[in-house]
Amino acid sequence: MVVVPLLGALSLAACTAAGSDDDPSGPVSIDQDWSEADPITVDVYDGLANYMGIQGGWFGKIVKDKFNMELNIIAPNVAGGGDTLYNTRVSGGELGDLVVVDKGRQMDELVEGGLLLDASDYYGSMTNVSPFDTAVQHLNEGKEGVYGFPTSVSSLKPTESSEGIDPTFGPYLRWDLYADAGYPEIGTLEDLLPILKTMQDAHPQTDDGKPVHAISLFKDWDGNMMVTAKQPATLYGYDEMGFVLAKADGSDYQSIVDPDSQYVRSLKFYFDANQLGLVDPESTTQNYDTMFAKYQAGQVLLSWWPWLGQSAYNTEQNMADGKGFELAPLQDQKVFSYGAEVYGGKQIIGIGSGAEDPARLAAFVDWLYSPEGILASASETQGAAGPEGLTWEKGEDGAPVFTDFGTKAILEGGADVPAEWGGGAYKDGVSALNVSTVLPIDENPDTGYPYSYKYWPSYQETTSNPLTDDWTSHMGDPASTMDYLQQNDQVVVAPGASFTTPTDSSEIEAIRSQVKATIIEHSWKMVFAKDDAEFDALLAQMQSTVDGLGYATVLEFDMANAKAQNDARVAVAKEFG
Amino acid sequence: MFLVVLPFLVLVLVFSYLPLAGWATAFFDYKPALGLSGSEFVGLQWFRMLVSSPTQLQQIGQVMANTLAMSFLGIATSLLPVFFAMLLNEIRAPWFKNAVQTLTTLPNFISWVLVYMIAFSMFSTSGLVNSVLNDWGLITTPIKFLDTGEHVWLTMLLWSLWKGLGWGAIMYLAAITSIDPALYESARIDGAGRFQLMRYITFPQLMPTYVVLLVLSIANMLNNGMEQYYVFQNAFNKEHIQVLDLYVYNIGITGNSLSMATALGMLKSVISVLLLVTANAIAKRARGTSII
Amino acid sequence: MPKTSDALKRTRGDVPFALVNYVGFLLFALLCAYPFYFLIINSVSANDVSALGDIRLWPEGLHLSNYSQILQLDGLSAAAVVSVARTVIGTACTVLASAFLGYMFTQERMWKRSLWYRLIIFTMYFSAGLIPLYITMKTLGLTNSFWVYILPAIVQPFNIILVKTYVESMPRSLQEAAEIDGAGTIRTFFRIILPNMTPILATVAIFTAVAQWNSFQDTLLYITDQKLYSLQYLLYTYTNQANSLAQAAQNAQGNLGAIVSAATTQTPTSIRMTVAVLVVLPIIFIYPLFQRYFVKGIMLGAVKG
Repeated sequence: MVVVPLLGALSLAACTAAGSDDDPSGPVSIDQDWSEADPITVDVYDGLANYMGIQGGWFGKIVKDKFNMELNIIAPNVAGGGDTLYNTRVSGGELGDLVVVDKGRQMDELVEGGLLLDASDYYGSMTNVSPFDTAVQHLNEGKEGVYGFPTSVSSLKPTESSEGIDPTFGPYLRWDLYADAGYPEIGTLEDLLPILKTMQDAHPQTDDGKPVHAISLFKDWDGNMMVTAKQPATLYGYDEMGFVLAKADGSDYQSIVDPDSQYVRSLKFYFDANQLGLVDPESTTQNYDTMFAKYQAGQVLLSWWPWLGQSAYNTEQNMADGKGFELAPLQDQKVFSYGAEVYGGKQIIGIGSGAEDPARLAAFVDWLYSPEGILASASETQGAAGPEGLTWEKGEDGAPVFTDFGTKAILEGGADVPAEWGGGAYKDGVSALNVSTVLPIDENPDTGYPYSYKYWPSYQETTSNPLTDDWTSHMGDPASTMDYLQQNDQVVVAPGASFTTPTDSSEIEAIRSQVKATIIEHSWKMVFAKDDAEFDALLAQMQSTVDGLGYATVLEFDMANAKAQNDARVAVAKEFG
Repeated sequence: MFLVVLPFLVLVLVFSYLPLAGWATAFFDYKPALGLSGSEFVGLQWFRMLVSSPTQLQQIGQVMANTLAMSFLGIATSLLPVFFAMLLNEIRAPWFKNAVQTLTTLPNFISWVLVYMIAFSMFSTSGLVNSVLNDWGLITTPIKFLDTGEHVWLTMLLWSLWKGLGWGAIMYLAAITSIDPALYESARIDGAGRFQLMRYITFPQLMPTYVVLLVLSIANMLNNGMEQYYVFQNAFNKEHIQVLDLYVYNIGITGNSLSMATALGMLKSVISVLLLVTANAIAKRARGTSII
Repeated sequence: MPKTSDALKRTRGDVPFALVNYVGFLLFALLCAYPFYFLIINSVSANDVSALGDIRLWPEGLHLSNYSQILQLDGLSAAAVVSVARTVIGTACTVLASAFLGYMFTQERMWKRSLWYRLIIFTMYFSAGLIPLYITMKTLGLTNSFWVYILPAIVQPFNIILVKTYVESMPRSLQEAAEIDGAGTIRTFFRIILPNMTPILATVAIFTAVAQWNSFQDTLLYITDQKLYSLQYLLYTYTNQANSLAQAAQNAQGNLGAIVSAATTQTPTSIRMTVAVLVVLPIIFIYPLFQRYFVKGIMLGAVKG
């Protein structure tokens, strides 16, 4: 008998929430001064946030001054435990007053469960969002209302790269050692091996006597496959879709366990490297932190991502000494690049159906899409410039330049914010929302330059050092790494179609989780196999095991998704091209 | 007398039994946002899925072998904390005794993640042990202690013993103090020496506590926990390290199959209780007293 | 302690035995203490060096910024207050409840005694899953309430078992003496049983206090109000934050900006180690206070006299 209320809660929590906002009130204007409204605290469930608690500092003060509200950030990333927080809160019928969640499954079920508010009544007066109406409509297609607002929207063409200066993927080598080896030309992936061997043999130890290995791997982020074995495939224009590697231009789809796949090619590459003694034997047992520290200490020579090798090793000191990671192109590479997502990125912003003051939240969301809001709230890692007047100002020609404070706070490791802006350390006051409503590469209509400072002429002038000078002169004076790739036709852009991968059915999910565990386990064993025969035997064993688990079913599903994604890319390229 | 216990029973009911209604989700494809009424009823699908293909059965077989092996090793060594407590009790210097007791509980407070860090620092290919062996000229290529598929059960046992021994002995140290001093006195009058006292008085007097804990751990046979095995797992030892809890984690948590997790949890609960009842019956027959 | 009286005459095996015993415990204690020492020296060493696992005997690149950064965390002292409160109140409640229930379940006159006892024991093996628990707490209004730390933890089957077993092994004469005096069950409990249970209650107290002190799962699930964060949870989120920031680098474009100093920039590992030291230290200092209860045996004399 006591069981009844709980069962009721399990089944009905969601439905009761759905019924409450049905009053047909018609369009509501949000255009009012909210600074005098009653103070409120709103719970923000934010799947992107890396901070949990009340937003403070300068961003907190801006929000408080403008909307008289405080943001209580609930961050699943920080809370830990995977989807636990999301699942429990959703089952309780209340996720947050404001939510940042994934589109697709999460958004769909929240709409269906009545946890998101239909913001149609406010949408008419959300003038900062309206330039991105196509994206909003696309996102809410088939939902009879406006439940979510897209993030990372862009007014660039979908066929243009969203990456700007540095690609997401690329073969990055310790440029100083590569130079010592005489800048040998790298025809294709496998040609890297003898070069890496030469580099490692010339520098078997760091200056303080630590062993150097050309390649060091880690397992922390292994998902559908061994993550470090997927990376070389991206140099040839492939990205993963479950167990499929799909080429950006739709010309090829590979099952990763296929002996001819790029994935197996990468495994073979690592296997050969290991035979040559190029692979760090601790790869199998170390975690990301340890590997990162090895990059920092100069014990690793190859990085498949700019953000790994460069962010660990390219310190000002090292670069001033001419040392650091730079792109060393493979002659046959076609690096995968993500196109600008005209329909928005993976996450959406929504207003919770239980929100106390939805109009104010709508006004807040709208503000996040205004130039002022974008500059203040954009994600720091994407080059957010901060509020005008504090960190930057318009120069004589109207182009943005950092203020002295901005230079200190953003480029030189931090500074304390003046009291009238809220005080505290600058980095502690950064928006904890960590969501970019508009791509930072987009142009700010107020200045005529992109929002991200990394594209400002005033910033680019300041970043020159022996390392980049040597790289630039050797590569024929490109403006940036991306510029080099484009000039040499070594990049392939996957049009930004904002494709949402359909959720796995429970059956597919159950098979997938077992298959990927098998693939990862065998991949690692193959890399460290003692000879070719063992390598081949493990490959065969992997294939037969995954087949036994039902690989074919999942592959079919992934293949269909990969093709649907390509169709969407073709369509969006046509529509906006 | 029942009435004074009643409030506590209510607590148990509310916090432990009431939530069991959630087991219902094991028979649905439960989606939290839609509630039970909005989720599809799938009957026994999740239970069947656990054993749906031969390859899977083979995997589960290996997983069960690991699980039971680790549990049996754990049970086989469960007398160690008893001896630990008895021997510590023989130490005369109070300061030494207290220091040992405090220090030996320390590992219990260090999370497995950090234990692994320490293990990595000691046993990785460039770790302390390998460098020392290398310096002494005993080996030329480093021994791969951490990524070998051999002796996994044994090394895991040693780690968990090291971590839990001092902590596990606390209960026995407490139990020793409850022993009636009169027993010792009369034995001593009969001329019993130190070892005889330990053998014929202390040890038997600790047995009730030991047997209770033994029965409880038999019921826990399927629950090895996963943290230890998770931090130590890699492609090379996975076959032997994957216990049930880790297997469930490895295949489950990255996905969103809440119902499957519930189904498994339910299955494990039922098996545990069955084991508990069985072990209790055996204990009752052997010792004449029921534990539960 | 039955044998602290040195009247016991030494037998021949005594000296070698004592030697082996002392040395054995000394070695094992060192083996157990070293990891903690390892954490301490690593948490004060340069973070980029410690991440490599190369610091084993003494610190390198000594610095205290790991500690100073954590001690400057917002809300640290408030969280410490919450943690102390839940540990003290929670432990007191659990110890009393365990003592009382453990004793009551030895009383054969209780109606359906073994049924109730079993009902409680079975819960050790039941896990309903997090969602039903969350809904239960929410329905009871326990989310964002301090009592969610206390109420669900009051009845602890394992502790009840320990107490019950202990009471059963106590000399019968204790209870009988009280009953002859005509004291009721409850009075016997408070006057005779409770004072004679200190060793096992100390054990239960240690177990409970450590569990309360170390718990963060309940905060994660049931609390969003910053004022009620426990210390462990705050530190746990701080670790996660470092972790997710490290992963965010994955999405960052290019250089994250010059790193000021690799030696003092905190990594998830350095934070974990520092947190572990900070959390274990109070336990080390408080634990010896409990130890004296292990040395006191049952004062039979109190009853006899």
